[in-house]
Amino acid sequence: MHLQRIHAIFEKDMKDFMKNTMMLLMPIVPIILAFFYRQMGPGEEMPVMMGYIIVGVTYSAVTANCIMAMMAEENEKKTLRGLIMSPASFLDVIIGKSLVTGFMTLITLVLSLLILGIDSFLNTRAILGLVLLFLFFLFLGIGVGLFAKSISTVSVYVMPIMFLFGFTPMIELMGLSEDNLVKKILDLFPISQLIEMHDSASWLPLGMVGIWVVAAALFMYVCFIKTRQDD
Amino acid sequence: MENVVQVNGLRKVFHENIAMDDVHFNVKKGEIFGLLGPSGSGKTTTIKILTGELKPSSGDIEVLGMKSDMFQTASFQSQIGILSDNSALYERLTVYDNLKLFCKLYSAPLQQIAVTLREVNMEKEGGKVVSKLSKGMKQRVLLAKALIHQPKLVFLDEPTSALDPGNAAYIHRGLQKLNEAGTTILLTTHNMEEATELCDRVAFLDQGKIQEMDNPDALRYKYSTHNFHIETFEGKKLVMINDVKSADKIGQMIADGQVKTMHTDHPTLGQIFLKLTGKELV
Repeated sequence: MHLQRIHAIFEKDMKDFMKNTMMLLMPIVPIILAFFYRQMGPGEEMPVMMGYIIVGVTYSAVTANCIMAMMAEENEKKTLRGLIMSPASFLDVIIGKSLVTGFMTLITLVLSLLILGIDSFLNTRAILGLVLLFLFFLFLGIGVGLFAKSISTVSVYVMPIMFLFGFTPMIELMGLSEDNLVKKILDLFPISQLIEMHDSASWLPLGMVGIWVVAAALFMYVCFIKTRQDD
Repeated sequence: MENVVQVNGLRKVFHENIAMDDVHFNVKKGEIFGLLGPSGSGKTTTIKILTGELKPSSGDIEVLGMKSDMFQTASFQSQIGILSDNSALYERLTVYDNLKLFCKLYSAPLQQIAVTLREVNMEKEGGKVVSKLSKGMKQRVLLAKALIHQPKLVFLDEPTSALDPGNAAYIHRGLQKLNEAGTTILLTTHNMEEATELCDRVAFLDQGKIQEMDNPDALRYKYSTHNFHIETFEGKKLVMINDVKSADKIGQMIADGQVKTMHTDHPTLGQIFLKLTGKELV
């Protein structure tokens, strides 16, 4: 890792981000949603699931969507090749490019949860869970962004990611029985695991989310290696 | 002289298509080497293999003393500069911000930005947003990007293809200055004048094979018929064979004041390429 190179990529991305209106508007979505949810039950303590809906929307709309669009744009306009063919390493490029998204995610998540009620998330396991979940969406976003190869195709990939991984808590609202196969599968998804974590003292759900993070990291690495060469 | 690039038996196959076949050449330290060929002849593939963007199917390749499995390391990439069809700029950022990024990535001093912009005749455009630049200007910024860290070896794929003659000439002078300072340059082009003016040696590439390789002047001499083309003041155009009998006759014509112009028959690189491959070099 080379701090000067990471900083150079971050500085460039920040300038680029501030000139990209579409990206600047994305953080508004979860903040407005949090505000509406708060209005539905003013003064009441929000169910944990509601908090994770906001977390899911933040991570899919801001984290995954932004990094996906940034990587796909770099890939489409061939600027990524310039970074890859420079002395910057895989980690320099990935960390440098993730910092702006991480920064925007943090601001959005904190503001949204402050509006909605942040108490349920103020413990070590919940914070660790949020960090792991962020890494999962980040790695998935980078991988898909590299795989998509153009900004226009990103929108095709972002929808299933939002619904599958971001809106998983909504499944609870669909009234599926406990024996339902779809529900059983979706219960293994990262956000479901984190919701379950709040009902027990077990660290197993965090381990499950960790496995998702490792899988997303592998997917990202494979996509990056494929981008590195023209073969 | 030390070889900066050594290619022996290079072969590249895309699925079942043979793009490069048994290619051998070397580039000496401090020279400008030109790869000449029409579109699809394998010029860009060669550059991509030599810069690590493509893996060779087989062959022994060494660049700056490093084997091809080292081409993706920071120590290799910090010593080379690339301008190819894969080079691009950040359109929403200014010229200065684009070059600043690469200065930092290559750990080059920021003062190098002004120096490099001057070399490509863009010193007044540093504050302009890239999306507002013309195609030729963007090409010059891309060239500046390739040179910003003062690489030992520069790969230029059609460096002046988008430039008008004035700017192309400016870039040629810049490249010659760069070369005089010790930088080795490997360029591809299908512009004969460019190759003749810039290159110490050229290789003709066609269908993934090197057809001919030498100094441009040596090639023009080799493929010359050595005939004399004479135009007299009376408007006659004569072609005389280069032998003793003709020499006597030419001497007499000169003595009689009949010769208006006289030159030997040296083909252009384009004509030589046509002769070798049956193809126009476009």
